[in-house]
Amino acid sequence: MGKTRSYKAQKVVDLMKAKTKSRQIMLSLESCVKCGQCIDQCHYVLANPDDPTFAPPYKADKLRKFFKAHEDWTGKVIPWWVGARSIYTDEELEELKDVVFGKCTGCRRCSLVCPMGVDMATFNGMARNLLYSVGIMPEGVWAVAKDQWEIGNQMGVLKEDYLDTLEWMEEELQSKHNDPSIKIPIDKKGADIMYTINPREAKYDPRSIADAAEIFHFAGADWCMPSEGWDMTNFGLFVGDPSLGAAASSRLYTAAQELGVNKVVISECGHGYRSTKCEGPNWAKMDLDFPMESSVITMLDYIKQGKIKVDKSKNSEKVTYHDSCNFARSCGMTEEPREVLSLVCSDIQEMYPNRQWNYCCTGGGGAMSMSEYAPMRLKSAKIKAEQLRATGAKIVVTSCHNCVDGLTDLIKHYNLDMKVTQLVNLVANALVVPASKMPKVMKEVSMPLAGKKILVIDDEPDVRIFLTKIFKENGCEVFEAPDANQGMRIIRDKNPDLVSLDMILPHKTGEKLYWELRKDEKYKKLPVVIVSGYTKIDDPKIDFDAFLEDKGIPAPQGFVEKPIHPDVLIETISGVLLEKV
Amino acid sequence: MATLNLGGKEVEIDEDGFIQDPEVWDEDVAIDLAATEGVDELGEDHWKLVHYLRDYYLKFGIAPMIRKLCKETGFDLKYVYEMFPSGPAKGACKVAGLPKPTGCV
Repeated sequence: MGKTRSYKAQKVVDLMKAKTKSRQIMLSLESCVKCGQCIDQCHYVLANPDDPTFAPPYKADKLRKFFKAHEDWTGKVIPWWVGARSIYTDEELEELKDVVFGKCTGCRRCSLVCPMGVDMATFNGMARNLLYSVGIMPEGVWAVAKDQWEIGNQMGVLKEDYLDTLEWMEEELQSKHNDPSIKIPIDKKGADIMYTINPREAKYDPRSIADAAEIFHFAGADWCMPSEGWDMTNFGLFVGDPSLGAAASSRLYTAAQELGVNKVVISECGHGYRSTKCEGPNWAKMDLDFPMESSVITMLDYIKQGKIKVDKSKNSEKVTYHDSCNFARSCGMTEEPREVLSLVCSDIQEMYPNRQWNYCCTGGGGAMSMSEYAPMRLKSAKIKAEQLRATGAKIVVTSCHNCVDGLTDLIKHYNLDMKVTQLVNLVANALVVPASKMPKVMKEVSMPLAGKKILVIDDEPDVRIFLTKIFKENGCEVFEAPDANQGMRIIRDKNPDLVSLDMILPHKTGEKLYWELRKDEKYKKLPVVIVSGYTKIDDPKIDFDAFLEDKGIPAPQGFVEKPIHPDVLIETISGVLLEKV
Repeated sequence: MATLNLGGKEVEIDEDGFIQDPEVWDEDVAIDLAATEGVDELGEDHWKLVHYLRDYYLKFGIAPMIRKLCKETGFDLKYVYEMFPSGPAKGACKVAGLPKPTGCV
């Protein structure tokens, strides 16, 4: 009689027989020769050089030993020689969980150099699946998988909330362009394109939905979003579960078939793209008669075919591109995103290493939903942080939502002065709306300030609303900031034509910001109009004049006193901006 | 599970810095949580947003859609991101004492 085994451990032993049938998995289990080439490919190893438990062969051996004990004749004949060892207790399963969920993001960088062809990600996914089948997984992974099973999307977004959000973005776009003809069509039968997204876009940050809609609209696309089957993400990939994979992907495919669309476009998401385009048809066992493409390809085609016009000077900050493991390494999408980037950004710095050799964002494989491993994840992100810092870029662009979050987290942790964005945001920002597509009202009324970008910095929300309204009525594009620091950020990001600046601000005064602008080579000529609440009785101008003299900087281009009179304001702003032209 | 001194008391937080027990939340805790998200001062609008999130969470047990948040508070999306640069999911929810949102965020 051997040792007794816990119920769950026995279940895992039984399941293993069924799970090791594929050639890829058998090869990965059998063929490692411990040559060690993969070791320094892994960002976990590089960031934790003194800890051998991060090495890919060590991690893989946790499962390999178990496999040898049950499925390989060598393990039965010479178990001591091949290190065969079975699993008996729930504690051992928990330990395995910490390895396969906590110490590998399935980024596949190690597999690139493996002379034997070990596919670590597929192998690791199989181990995750064994544990998932007996209910052993990080709590966050469980919550997401459950929502995807039950509600049909990974964030439990209800249909009415999703549709309400799309309607909201449609209204925002209509008001931005003053054009009620801009639509986000829902369930349009026979449309050319069905656009699918990551639920985080609907739940927390729908700006990317509006950006995509804006691009589709101005490209004249015949498109729609489905009311069901709109989630292109798939936690089936992260838990290695083909059943969940099939449940999630077949929902999307069925929606596309029912609508009879020509193709499915997948928003910028690494694992979503791989799951929906590459793995999903196998999981779902469905014959699909429509192609699927990444929105990166769609946007690139629109620009190359002249369907949309873009102006790269609108994205002038230095950017770098981060290749996602699923999008680039697993699906080969390395050149298309760079081509888009080169068309919509004026200052690009390549990251090294790049393309299939890029390092993981550290949030891959569902790691962002596993809080218990966050400290280890962030410690291991050191490699990525150094790689980002070396680019000197202010913006890192990536075609993966998971990478957006992984990178955002590590940027904060390592205090890098960078922002993360996606191509869809940059393309939308670079859009040039042709006069023929502007609504008629805009063309008929003469508005000398039309198209001017104005930044309003004022700590009082009411004043901001009031100023914004006046400027928008005059055709300006308006940005708002409640304090000097945010104002500075917008100046860098958006390159406004003029800044309307309040003097009394929290943290840093308007005076100080003005001084900083005048010291800055890039912004010393940026027109500034002071819109201040001081009356003459307060006699602030003397102080401000003294301040200017003291610092040796010229006076701002204009002053407008509060309470603000709209005519005076517009006259002053026009004077400054049009004279400048 | 780690603890952190927030608002003058030891509070349990998860590895991403979200508090575990919504009962221990008060405005002093919120102010210290805000500092961890790079928000140095909570103005009137910050509080309006934070209280909305917390009330919604206590009532429904989940974070609201950003659509609901904007509709109910009257703030536009851009302004929400200005107030909480790390966004509504990580920034604002953390300050309001919600647990970490699930999924790809």
